[in-house]
Amino acid sequence: MKQLIIFLFFTVTILPQTRVEDISTFTLKNGMKIIVLEDHSIPNANMYLFWKVGSRNEYPGITGLSHFFEHMMFNGSKKYGPKMFDRTMEANGGANNAYTSENVTVYTDWFPTSALDVIFDLEADRIANLEFDDKMIESERGVVLSERSTGLENNPLWQLWEQVQGAAFFAHPYSIPVIGYESDIKNWTKKDLQTYFATYYSPGNCVVVIVGDVTVNEVRSLSEKYFEPIAVGPSPRKIHTVEPEQDGERRVEVKRDVPSPYVMLAHHVPQTNSEDYYALSLLESILTSGKTSRLYSSLIDERQLAIEVSTDYSYAFDPFIFTIYGICSKDITPAHLEAAIIAELDKVIKEGVTGEELQKVKNQKLMEFYHTMETINGKANTIGTYELFFGDYKKLFSAPQDFAKVTAEDIQRVAAKYFTKKNRTVGILMAEEETQ
Amino acid sequence: MKRSTATTRRIWMYECMGVCFLTIIQAFSHTIILSLVFCSTLFAQFQLPKYENYILENGLTLYLMEQHEVPLIYISAIFPAGAVWDESKSGLAAFTADALLLGTKNYTKKQIEETFDFLGASISSYAGKETAEITISFKKSDLEKVLPIFIDVITNPTFPQEEFDKRKKRWLAELEQAKESPRRVIGSYFDKFIFGSNVYGNAVSGSQSSIKDLNREDLQGFFGMHYRISKLGIAVVGDFSAGEMKNKIESMFPRTPSLDQLNLTIDVNKDIKRFEKSNVLLLDKDDSRETTFLIGGYGVSWNNKDITQIQVINTIFGGRFTSWLNDELRVNTGLTYGARSRFTNYKNAGTFYISSFTANKTTIEAIDLALEVLDRLHTEGVDEATLTSAKNYIKGQFPPRYETSGELADLLTTMYFYGLDDSYINDFEKNVDEMTIERANEIITKYFPKENLQFVLIGKADEIRDKIKKYGEVTEKKITDDGF
Repeated sequence: MKQLIIFLFFTVTILPQTRVEDISTFTLKNGMKIIVLEDHSIPNANMYLFWKVGSRNEYPGITGLSHFFEHMMFNGSKKYGPKMFDRTMEANGGANNAYTSENVTVYTDWFPTSALDVIFDLEADRIANLEFDDKMIESERGVVLSERSTGLENNPLWQLWEQVQGAAFFAHPYSIPVIGYESDIKNWTKKDLQTYFATYYSPGNCVVVIVGDVTVNEVRSLSEKYFEPIAVGPSPRKIHTVEPEQDGERRVEVKRDVPSPYVMLAHHVPQTNSEDYYALSLLESILTSGKTSRLYSSLIDERQLAIEVSTDYSYAFDPFIFTIYGICSKDITPAHLEAAIIAELDKVIKEGVTGEELQKVKNQKLMEFYHTMETINGKANTIGTYELFFGDYKKLFSAPQDFAKVTAEDIQRVAAKYFTKKNRTVGILMAEEETQ
Repeated sequence: MKRSTATTRRIWMYECMGVCFLTIIQAFSHTIILSLVFCSTLFAQFQLPKYENYILENGLTLYLMEQHEVPLIYISAIFPAGAVWDESKSGLAAFTADALLLGTKNYTKKQIEETFDFLGASISSYAGKETAEITISFKKSDLEKVLPIFIDVITNPTFPQEEFDKRKKRWLAELEQAKESPRRVIGSYFDKFIFGSNVYGNAVSGSQSSIKDLNREDLQGFFGMHYRISKLGIAVVGDFSAGEMKNKIESMFPRTPSLDQLNLTIDVNKDIKRFEKSNVLLLDKDDSRETTFLIGGYGVSWNNKDITQIQVINTIFGGRFTSWLNDELRVNTGLTYGARSRFTNYKNAGTFYISSFTANKTTIEAIDLALEVLDRLHTEGVDEATLTSAKNYIKGQFPPRYETSGELADLLTTMYFYGLDDSYINDFEKNVDEMTIERANEIITKYFPKENLQFVLIGKADEIRDKIKKYGEVTEKKITDDGF
């Protein structure tokens, strides 16, 4: 009975302003898919371009190229030469950014509606006619090396994450850090860039999402004018490598002069569009979302073993890892914290979770949806993410029901299935002298 | 904290630098842009949504703004209870604000956390340089469950000893941890270096030694002194009816003002230094692979009438991707992932600084270049095309800053504390549009420091110590030394 009530509750209250039928989609002749949602709450709009390319498409020698490429996309094309992409966009009131992950490269433009035509022109020009200026390539290498360095400098977790990910995967390219290895950043060639562009920046490899103060009709006609003429490229190579099942715990250690040690545990889990996604996502919330979550309340608050604890369960096209990490409190050894985290996982496996706990994280998911749908950027990013990782943006609208269907038994089952010792990679980052 | 799985092109910013809303206004670009930018673009003008404002008999100032897009409500409360009131107990304001959530007269810490977590609602409490802010967000159907807790948190905290001790231990570890990240702490060093013993030099987070000395009586004393209803501003924004909400909130506070109407004052000008020369503070972090630096001096306070126009110039200089600073230090030379400049505005003071980071071996090259760009701003000024571009940018990026109810609630409490009226929003575009080249160059001369600049660097001292002497008199400390 309780399940039924929850189900109704979700369906009645979710997304009062945006309904699935408010979204329009069409596919251009060259295969580029466009998704549009009109939202006239502010006189602004955005354009998100989701490219299905990330470090997962790399190999030794060109590691970090997807991310470097993301930078190069701003460095000049036929009509808008070096610097002109940013200058033109900003002069028209727009701003932009981009991000790269293991799976995707996403370009984001935010602008007053008056700039819509210019934005289309800018994007079309760089997709169709990107140019590779030698001077720009060299200068951009410096920028990316600085980005790599500042990440490592300011966040020890970066360093540990690279090592743990590298150890958890030895076959699948998920072993490659998104930023790439320093030696590759310094050595890849213009030809590598050109080949990469031709392979992955074909219109059929892209989903465009536009949300804001626009009309579907004007977006359609601008898409046909600017995007449709872009030539179709070859189909990218499929990633067919499957990481062999892990058959024993792996451990890595990183030395760094930190005041207290960091502990990271990674377990292999299936890709986002698997049936266990919703249970794992709720389990993640049970572990670390909010002060009453299991790991926070037990490790930080009650027992004071850690000053910080968190999890990562990212969207992924292929089976990826569910990661838990913490920073030790003063005088707590990493072994102690590691054992305590594992004990909490074992508790879920042995005793399961309570009905109230499950209801709590379902309520939290609902609020997350509301917050996402409060802004045009939240809407665009989420619609695109669902389209890519779940295979259909409509899944966004059924997500509340999909979460509601998860039972306490499901949570216990996925915990038992994935949080095993032999499926685990443990990483410890600590100062040299502490291990002597 | 989430793993940074994705690396991004240009998102980076300094954290923990106190309350500053204007920082969101970022603008940029220089040199000649196509003719299309010579005319300022006409945007749909953004206006502050309708709201109601009451000063209750007990002195509480209440703002109510209905927004019905999603069934959520945000409430934001602000007290003049930030670090400027720390006196000798550095970190007291921040610790007090944080500790409001450790338990109240009617709710234990556990009850507060369980209620909010279960509903998917959120509550946060923190203090910055000048104010303490407590915010909640929740589904409108949960109003009756969360409102009484919120009111108890801001009026009846008990600071239970056991929870206080636990929090203190963790606070100390966090302080130590923060120094692992130069970017997280350099702002505190800078403020201290600029303001010295003036109250605006107070480090919000406190230091190891000052936090160690805090006890719960300090918190009780601070709370009694600085969290007074007569000074409280509350903004409620979201899906509710203003009339009902007013009655509800009014009924939850004492009707009449408390007898204690002691008027607290603070000498905001005490010990303000005048810089007769450039000085350099070098923080040695032995394992650094890069140098993180801030260069600047005094800025302006919130009540400065030129505040919007200053942001237009800062947009050009270091406030957007194509800004002169980022163009030189990142795009042209690849010395850094990012370079920018910023004005931080307080009620009675402000700072201006250039910020960036670069590999140890390019430290001098990067700093020299940043200084060259600042010099160019003064000697060359800006041209029409650049100014127009900056105006368009700053106007085009304005509406999304106030898109959510949470952002609007923050805006209203900020307006309350800093005494801004609606014209701050409603005349924003007019103030931007009115700017001429002559005016732009006046703003540069008047507000952008030119000489006696102050430098703060965090890096590997052995590799840069000698070379930075040319910038001014160097004071060197270890980053691990207590405090800032």
